[in-house]
Formats: sequence, structure tokens, C-alpha cells
Amino acid sequence: MPEKPSDPARPAIELRDVRASSGGYEILDGACAAFPEGLCSVVMGPAGSGKSTLLKVAAGLVVPDSGSVLYRGAELARFGRRDEAAFRAATGFVFQDGALWADQNILTNVTMPLRVHKAWLGPSAMAELARETLGALGYDEGMAFRPAELSAGEQKLVSIARAVIHEPQLVFMDDPTANLDEDAAERVYALIAKLRERRRTVVIVANSSELAYRFADRLGIIKGGRLVAFGSYEETVGTAEAALSGSIARLKARGERAAAPERERRGVREPDAGAENSQAGDV
Amino acid sequence: MAIIAAIGRAARTKASGLLYGLGFFYNVLKETGRFFRRKQVGYKVLIMQILFTGYEALAINAVMAIAIGAAINVIGSSLLPQFGQSQLMYSILIVVITRELGPLLTAFVITARSGTAIATQLGTMVVNHEIEAYIAVGLNPISYLVVPRFIGVVVSMLVLTVYFNIFGLLGSFIVVQAVNPTPIGEYLGALMSTLTLADVFSGLTKALVFGVIVSVVSTFQGFAVNRASTEIPVAGIKAVGSSFILIILADVLVTLVQYA
Repeated sequence: MPEKPSDPARPAIELRDVRASSGGYEILDGACAAFPEGLCSVVMGPAGSGKSTLLKVAAGLVVPDSGSVLYRGAELARFGRRDEAAFRAATGFVFQDGALWADQNILTNVTMPLRVHKAWLGPSAMAELARETLGALGYDEGMAFRPAELSAGEQKLVSIARAVIHEPQLVFMDDPTANLDEDAAERVYALIAKLRERRRTVVIVANSSELAYRFADRLGIIKGGRLVAFGSYEETVGTAEAALSGSIARLKARGERAAAPERERRGVREPDAGAENSQAGDV
Repeated sequence: MAIIAAIGRAARTKASGLLYGLGFFYNVLKETGRFFRRKQVGYKVLIMQILFTGYEALAINAVMAIAIGAAINVIGSSLLPQFGQSQLMYSILIVVITRELGPLLTAFVITARSGTAIATQLGTMVVNHEIEAYIAVGLNPISYLVVPRFIGVVVSMLVLTVYFNIFGLLGSFIVVQAVNPTPIGEYLGALMSTLTLADVFSGLTKALVFGVIVSVVSTFQGFAVNRASTEIPVAGIKAVGSSFILIILADVLVTLVQYA
């Protein structure tokens, strides 16, 4: 597996003509996308369009029926045990419904990535990190609770903490603000902003146009299992037919955003649009 | 033609299911070999499995063993003298309890208690995406979830079988005291002189095979759950049904090999 990242033009994760199905139903129908290194990509689409499956395929949690998924140029399907371990250490995943381990308490849920990838940290250091990470997200319940004792929103916060506690290079987020109140959602926005500042690669699938408006360096629209648009935020909002998605219409209505200067300040080099389009295949 | 096509499809599905099951079993064995060689976060799961499958089944196993031992003695002591074969009582006790009923009934108890629990627990984890969450943090579900259950069930099965044998023979002793009071030393001496290494080996071989069957079938059925929570009880039922059938077939096979 290729070592150390940091060419922003190079895709961290690339999907090539991916098809995936479940229970005999086709969910992804030749999806192509290239999520650039160090940038935040947001994919939006209606319910049942294949967003979650797209994210899980990209994260190597669902094996596609055909097509390939590449992590920094290397195909996930060919990863050996060590490559797989390195990939998992470098990634974090926020599940739509939390997916916390019901038989483990909150502390164990959150510290599990540390126990797997940073076992040299002692239990007290892990617990301290867990408190810090959960605290930043506004979680103020006990660490000895089981997930079933928490609300859906609190479970979501714990799931987010579990995904970022080991400081991964690449974070996948499935609807990260679902079930959250406005204050909690703001804290999640702050976390995503922090990840962007640190040039982490973030891939988000969401129903909310707010996430796209605030954070999308790349914006994709998925419909019927195909990415019908994928490019820079301005490009997608400007060129994609509003009819493709109500979200695009809402983003257009919000007008231009003041995000470009921030990206320049972060020194993120924009990949060549033409090259990206060719990677994105079905744009 | 439609019937033939349907039969063909069903046969192909069964064949691919069998191959998938064999691949699953191979992976479990491979990961079991690695389990003790590396620092594992799965030790806690292993200890919990031994506690649930082994320790918590001690009482039911003891009651069942004492009752069965007593029943064999009651039947034997009323039937054998009619044929002038009272001296065979100890041989029958050893053969029936140690070679056959000990491992078989213990396997049934473990299937009913732990097999269903394992299948439904893993099925629930699949539906709640907990298995995907383990993969996402870098834990291999076979290594972390299946292997500790596999080892835990096999170890518990072996220990519970020995336990069943001891209590089965003890139950028999209680009946002997009621019918024909015998000093414990004499009773144990007669038993030990009848017991052979082959009896012990036969019982433990069956216990090992049955433990492998229950654990692999139950974990496999748990992982076979796809999306709906309604599949979870079905997985439990399939785990019990398939385990019972495979245990009985394996019992016949091992017995045939030992007596051939």
C-alpha cells in the first residue's frame, strides 16, 4: 500500500464503475467518484439513492459486485492483512444509526480504535482522550452507560467520537448530524471544520444541504445508484440541473458562499477540473 | 422443465451454501491458530463465553446427569438379574454414560442454551451494523467474535462432558445405596476397573466434535442474517435444527469409526 499522503490532487479514495446489490436489488449502478486527499467531499441525494452503500463501499465495509475501489491508488480488494490494518488505522467511520456495540459501555465503545491501533497508550490515557473527544462534542453523560441507555442523538455523538478518537487521516461520515439538536449539530460542524483545518480527507453523505453549503470542497449528487454530478461545489451547484435534486435548488437559493478564501488560506491546491471529471466518469 | 430448473437452482444454492460454510469453517480454524499468538482484545469475549456456556450450565448438567445415571441403574438392576448378568451393570454404566449420553446430552444442552444465544446475538449485531463497526475499527469479526465463541464452546463442552460423567456415575451410586448399600470405595473400585482409556478417549472425541459443530453452526447462522430483525429468531431455529442433525450424524460416524 502506498505510504504517506499529501498530494491534494490525488484522490484518497477512488471508485471506478462500482456496482453493488443487496437482497437481489441493485443499489449502486456503475458509480464513479474520486474523493481528493485533504479535502471535504459531500455527496447528497434522496433517500434510497444509494448514499450509505456508496460510503460503505468506499470504506471497504461492503464488497462491490463489480468495479474497483482504490485507496491512494491501491485496490482495496487486493489488500493483505497488514495493508488492511494500516487502512483501518488511517480511517474512521460514522454510521448513520450509530452502530454502537450494545454489550459494551460508552468508554469501551469510544476507546476501541485506540485499543486496536494505539495499544501502547495506557487505559487511563485512553479514558482521558475519550472524555476530551466526547466533551468537545457536548456529550455529558457517564462513561459506564450502555448505548441503549442513551438517546439516539447521544449515540450519534458517541459514534462520531469513536470515528475520530485515533486521529485518522480519512473520515467517512454517514449523515453525521441526523438525530442531533441544533447545538449538538453546531459542535459537529466545528469538529468537521477542525478536520478540514488539519487537512484530513473527509467524505460525507448527507440529506442536509447545510453540510454541503458549509464544508463541501467537492459536491456530488447521487440518484438511482449513479453519481449524476461530481465536482467542485461551485461547478456542481452551477451546472447540475436543479431538477436532479431539490438540494441543488436549495443550495442555489442560498447563493455564493465565502468558502474559497478559506481554502486558499489552507493552501489546498485545486485539482484540474477536467482531470477530475474524467475520474468522476459519469459526470 | 420449470420444475427441473427449480431443482437445479435449489441444488446450486445448496452447493454454494455448503462451500461458503466450509470456507467459513476454514477461516475459523485459521484464525483460531492465530488467536493465542497475538495480544488480543478478544480474551474478554472468550472468558464471558466460557462463563455462559460452561459455568452457568453446571447446575442443569448435574441434575440431568444424576437423573440419567439413576435411571440407568434402576433399569439395569431390574433387567440384568433376569439374564444372570448383574455384573454387567458397571460396564453398561460406563459405556452408556461416558461414551454416549455424556457427550450427546451435554451437546444438546449447549445447543439449546448457547447455540441459540450465539446465533441470535450475532444476528442482532448484523442487523444493527455492529459487525460493520468492528470491521471499521480494524477488528476481524471472525477473529474477535467467532474464535472466542468457538474456543469457549469447545472448552466448555469438554469440561461439561467430564462433569456429566462424574455426576452420572454419582447419581448411579445414590440409587445403589437405596437398593443395595455398597461402600463407596467398592463402588468406585468396580467402576475404575471397568473404565478403559478408550472409553474416556471416545467420550472426549465426541465432545470435541460436538463442540466444534455447535459453535461453528451457530456463528455461521448468526452471520447469515442479512437485514431484517425477523431473520434473527429464524437464525436461532436454524442453528438448533442444523446442530442437532449434525451432532447425531457425527455421533453415528464417530461410533462407527471406534467400533469398526
